[in-house]
Amino acid sequence: MTTVPQTHLERRYAALGLLLIAPTVLVFCVVIVYPLISAVYLSLFSIFTPTLQGEWVGLSNYQALLSTGEFWTSLGNNVIWTVGTLVLQIVFGVAMALVLHENLWFRALARSLILFPYFVSTVVAVLVWKWLFNDLYGILNHLMIVAGLIEFPLDHLGSMPNAMISVIIVGAWKYFPFVVIAVLARLQTIPEQLYEAARIDGAGPFARFWDITLPQLREVLVVIVLLRAIWDFKEFDLIFLLTGGGPIIGTQTLPLLVYKEAFALNRMGMAAAYAVVMMALMLAFMLIYIRQTRRRES
Amino acid sequence: MAEVVLSRVRRDFGAVTAVHDLNLAIAEGEFVSLLGPSGCGKTTTLRMLAGLEFPTGGEIRIGGRVVNDVPPAKRDIAMVFQSYALYPHLSVADNIAYPLKKRGVPRAERRPKVERTAELLQLTPLLDRKPRQLSGGQQQRVALGRALVRDPKVFLLDEPLSNLDAKLRIHMRAELVELHQRLGRTMVYVTHDQLEAMTMSDRIAIIDQGRLQQFAPPQEVYHAPANRFVAGFIGTPGMNLIEGTLSQEGGAWCFTAPGLRIAVGQLTDDAQAGPATLGLRPEDVTVGAGPVSGIVRVVEQSGHENIIIVEIAGNERLTLRIPASILPRTGDTVALAPDATHAHVFAAGEAGQRLNTATARPRPQTL
Ligand SMILES: Nc1ncnc2c1ncn2[C@@H]1O[C@H](COP(=O)(O)OP(=O)(O)OP(=O)(O)O)[C@@H](O)[C@H]1O
Ligand SMILES: [Mg+2]
Repeated sequence: MTTVPQTHLERRYAALGLLLIAPTVLVFCVVIVYPLISAVYLSLFSIFTPTLQGEWVGLSNYQALLSTGEFWTSLGNNVIWTVGTLVLQIVFGVAMALVLHENLWFRALARSLILFPYFVSTVVAVLVWKWLFNDLYGILNHLMIVAGLIEFPLDHLGSMPNAMISVIIVGAWKYFPFVVIAVLARLQTIPEQLYEAARIDGAGPFARFWDITLPQLREVLVVIVLLRAIWDFKEFDLIFLLTGGGPIIGTQTLPLLVYKEAFALNRMGMAAAYAVVMMALMLAFMLIYIRQTRRRES
Repeated sequence: MAEVVLSRVRRDFGAVTAVHDLNLAIAEGEFVSLLGPSGCGKTTTLRMLAGLEFPTGGEIRIGGRVVNDVPPAKRDIAMVFQSYALYPHLSVADNIAYPLKKRGVPRAERRPKVERTAELLQLTPLLDRKPRQLSGGQQQRVALGRALVRDPKVFLLDEPLSNLDAKLRIHMRAELVELHQRLGRTMVYVTHDQLEAMTMSDRIAIIDQGRLQQFAPPQEVYHAPANRFVAGFIGTPGMNLIEGTLSQEGGAWCFTAPGLRIAVGQLTDDAQAGPATLGLRPEDVTVGAGPVSGIVRVVEQSGHENIIIVEIAGNERLTLRIPASILPRTGDTVALAPDATHAHVFAAGEAGQRLNTATARPRPQTL
């Protein structure tokens, strides 16, 4: 690096720049850096939540955490949930975007309807789904029996693996509109002439999807997958409201475990340790995401 | 056998008729341009030939086979798009190989074909690049390569040169002509640039508002325009069109307008005494001596020639092309002599048909 001698004006300009970004930096520190550091700090204590009294225990929270089966089970659940719901979101989201991209007369209406699950509050959505899933009077069991798929009502939320499958499906239903909107926006920018050229070159509908649509969607899909992976990984309210992590800890993911440690077991220090581990895991996704967006910009 | 025949082909878009009952018979190996102003239906016609658009009426035959319901891939045609439409994620080599791949040509056979095509178009050093790493002219050649590699019966080109700068355009024009001569394939070339059409084509189909106006070799289109539209459309500066009266005096036809009287030679049986339009190319009027007098209003010098605008009686303005050695000044009164043997006569009205009997009167050749 070479240092270019700065003129007086340039120095004043730089000072002005610093002054202008200072408020942002300050807010960033207060709302992000401080909680982050304090979480790491708390994780080094054993703290009783109601009184917030605690004593220094060093890394023993982490030692305990890594040696408990519950952590590994929750991490496993977390991965199953994230991968399962993400795959469904992508598959249905892309498929729906392709359908909506066609020139349908009800396209405008369908596009607004499709956003409904994304906008409806999680609490309301979960209440509706709980009613659908109910093993006594739920419509899902009724329909499945009528269709001859099952003989007796199923317990969709109270037994495994049904509970995990249900959670994954509701998650996919709630968040696939995000994929639809992002993919649809990209689809509309693919030049029609590429498809026409491919038709002349002898590509059928499947080949056109594979050779033109998918490569064009690649970049946006990478971003969607990374963003949704981060968001799904830390999803709390949907799972908590639907199953509460049950049956037993069958659908308990790390965010639910953090909540349980902090407010049910009153072990704030331990909860902080779980949260820090989760953060470290998500940092990996973050780094990939940042690298990806950097590459796109260059 | 790769002649292309359109019989009464029509295309409606709702209330808009983009192409009206078009009849066009393109011979095998011919280079034909579709020329016309913007929105006249050139692209629509080409897309119907490609199978990307379907005619609402009429019949399209390629190589003797009716292709109205044949999908693009089965027509044995190739198309070069104005935007090139290269596959952005594929390398140049893969772009060129794509039509072969989709037709199930094995990899081992694709290779030499791609290499031969690349060599023909001087793309060999670029084979590993992606389209976005190429200049406009190079992209254009890749698009050509993708069309060439399959050796189709008919090439369809939609304004392939319009995205290039002027110099490259002239260069590619020559390359395309050479390519056509070498391959001997039927080519249908859409353009709104009359210079391109004039210099490259065997025949030009001039279209206006979805209707065919004339389909003839460039020289004939220039020297014997079929109607007033073609007369005004072809040539820069455009032909002077003067409204006047046609009369028969002792068996010879004569055209009169204020300050102008000219014997126009043989006319067809359709000719009637009464209102008519006279067409004079800017180079078909000599300045210096003659029966018509006018005042010079504008003088434009372009080096090898001068273009002047002269006002004659009745506020009629004539654009004239004169040698650089003659340089009148604005305001000068000049004497003009229209060349009667090169005067065009059209029936009255916007759509007036040509009335001269001679079909083509090429300028005498001097070698
Ligand atoms: N998909 C379409 N829907 C409705 N009208 C259309 C469509 N495609 C073309 N047209 C109309 O048909 C007419 C001919 O269009 P076309 O694209 O063939 O013109 P063109 O001669 O290629 O013009 P340009 O030189 O500007 O490319 C125009 O009036 C156009 O508005
Ligand atoms: Mg066009």
